[in-house]
Amino acid sequence: MRKGLWAAGFAALLLTTSASAQTLNVATAGDQNMVDYIKDYLGPMFEKKNPGVKVVAVGTGPGDGGSQKIYEKLDAQKKAGAASDFDVVVIHQKAAGTMVKEDLLKKYRDTLPTGKMVTRDTATNALGTDVSGYVMPMFHSQTALAYNPDLVKNPPSSYAELRDWVKQNPQQFGYNGIKGGMSGVAFVTGWVSAFGGDAAKLEKGPYDAATKATWDKALADLKEFNKNVVITPGNAGTLDMLNRGEIAMGPVWVDMFYTWKAEGKLPPNTRLKLISPGMPGQPMYYAIPAKTGQEKLAADFIALATSPEVQAEGIVKRFNWYPGIDAKNLEGKLDQAAWNQLFADITPDALAANGKPFPIGPYFNDILESYEKNVAN
Amino acid sequence: MIGALFLYPLGYSLAAAFTEPGSGLTLMHFRKAYELYSTDILFTLFIVITSTLLTGLFAIIIAGILTLGETPWLVGALRQLYRWPLFIPFIVAAQCMRTFLAKNGLMNNSLVALGVMEPLQATSFLDWRGIIITFVWKQVPFVTLMLAGAMASIDRATIEAGRNLGASRLRVLIEIVLPQVSQTLLVGLVLSFVTMLSVLSVPMMVAGSQPTMLTVDMAFRINSYGDYATANALGVISYLIAGTVAWIYLRHNVKREVQA
Repeated sequence: MRKGLWAAGFAALLLTTSASAQTLNVATAGDQNMVDYIKDYLGPMFEKKNPGVKVVAVGTGPGDGGSQKIYEKLDAQKKAGAASDFDVVVIHQKAAGTMVKEDLLKKYRDTLPTGKMVTRDTATNALGTDVSGYVMPMFHSQTALAYNPDLVKNPPSSYAELRDWVKQNPQQFGYNGIKGGMSGVAFVTGWVSAFGGDAAKLEKGPYDAATKATWDKALADLKEFNKNVVITPGNAGTLDMLNRGEIAMGPVWVDMFYTWKAEGKLPPNTRLKLISPGMPGQPMYYAIPAKTGQEKLAADFIALATSPEVQAEGIVKRFNWYPGIDAKNLEGKLDQAAWNQLFADITPDALAANGKPFPIGPYFNDILESYEKNVAN
Repeated sequence: MIGALFLYPLGYSLAAAFTEPGSGLTLMHFRKAYELYSTDILFTLFIVITSTLLTGLFAIIIAGILTLGETPWLVGALRQLYRWPLFIPFIVAAQCMRTFLAKNGLMNNSLVALGVMEPLQATSFLDWRGIIITFVWKQVPFVTLMLAGAMASIDRATIEAGRNLGASRLRVLIEIVLPQVSQTLLVGLVLSFVTMLSVLSVPMMVAGSQPTMLTVDMAFRINSYGDYATANALGVISYLIAGTVAWIYLRHNVKREVQA
């Protein structure tokens, strides 16, 4: 009798697992807004179009650390010879490069109907690694300086001007160092590109380990600069302090900035400025793990996520990101007001001129480590 | 169980800290840890030692009032209140402190509203002071709980004798009560020390990252670079700090046993 019960229970368990074979597991790195986007917006839409499918979104944490966790799991599953339990992953550039090199991803983009709508070079080149075919940009995001125009009448328009401004206005500029999120990292790599010499080499390579010695002067200046700034706790920490009027200016992600402003968590007159010679931005990528059992479903999911309608309504209008596919595909899908709002402070021309990629992987790590060594310690 | 779940990972991380694939035994990870994080090591020591001392001080004061206090409402109120932070996780405490201690946060705004302070005098406590305040706030109840228990169980006659001979309550506390509970106090402080050394959420949320505590550096090494070796080296440094404290405690214990 007892045995029978166990057997029945076990059978029931088997049944539920096979029924949940129609579960699409989406693992996403990044801040909470990424999880919200999939859980509240994209997931329900996909479930409606594919009855019987359930989309489960898992967040793995902000910054490259979140992508690193996804990489570690896929890597462990590959080494164990197990199938991967993530069907779609949303990752940063650095991890995407590593995963492509280690054959953890599927080459799927050319089969997607939306695959041809991608034009930005970040879809083929992730910090120096060729990833064409393996990834689809979900959106593009950009860092810029946010400032309070009541306190800053003439915002600096370059890193050099910013340096002087901070000297004259000590403790009015804040950023989050390099351990508290990517807006601070972006500010620092932008600084090294601006003052460290050959910026083009940082973006395109080739890598030369001796280059980091040429940054000494730039980093010594940054250490000096840091004496007059506030180090904030995190991306949200910078926005918090701007909101409370504790700092007047700081580097932020454009999408977070607009979202916070729309939610009333920033003064409505706060503005953005993208300073020259440029600050970095980055895409997040949709990718399919090589060993997923649900390749078809995953590809459908990404096709929906990168369709012009979803890019217009979800990416641009709701979450204030720049679209992952070429913006001209969005014409007619988006009302003019939403479009104008996205480009109100940073015009498309400014974005084209001063929106830079992050440095290639090895330089990126060198910059972070040199910062820890020469500036933070 | 201990072997599988604690000793094995411990040995593994020790091995990873002292070796480099391909070149055998090496101290390079420690050199790197020192090059990048020497300030943070000192900062961590400073924070944890200061917090432990302050925790001890406040715990003695509160436990002293609970044991020797003669104002019933004060003793009653303290007895009700002091345990509350025990039930609040570090991460929640850190989140509360973020809005409480900020420059234009609840604390400063209240002080300004009360007229105690001018708005321009307000400064943010969200730096090393914020970490210490959070740690002390969180650990005082724990040490007090142990200490008040120990104080309640000592022979009241010794306290009464002191009071009858005209000693003030402060003197009774310092000269009669404390020596009898010093062992418990030491245990409480050692446990607090080790706990504070291992907290990640508070330094991450309350203060900026320069300088910061070793836990944040370890998390950063792993999350940003996947560099377990240097993180393990930092871990070994933490073990050493915690080990030193444990050693002081054990030596003290052995001495007492020999005396007894």
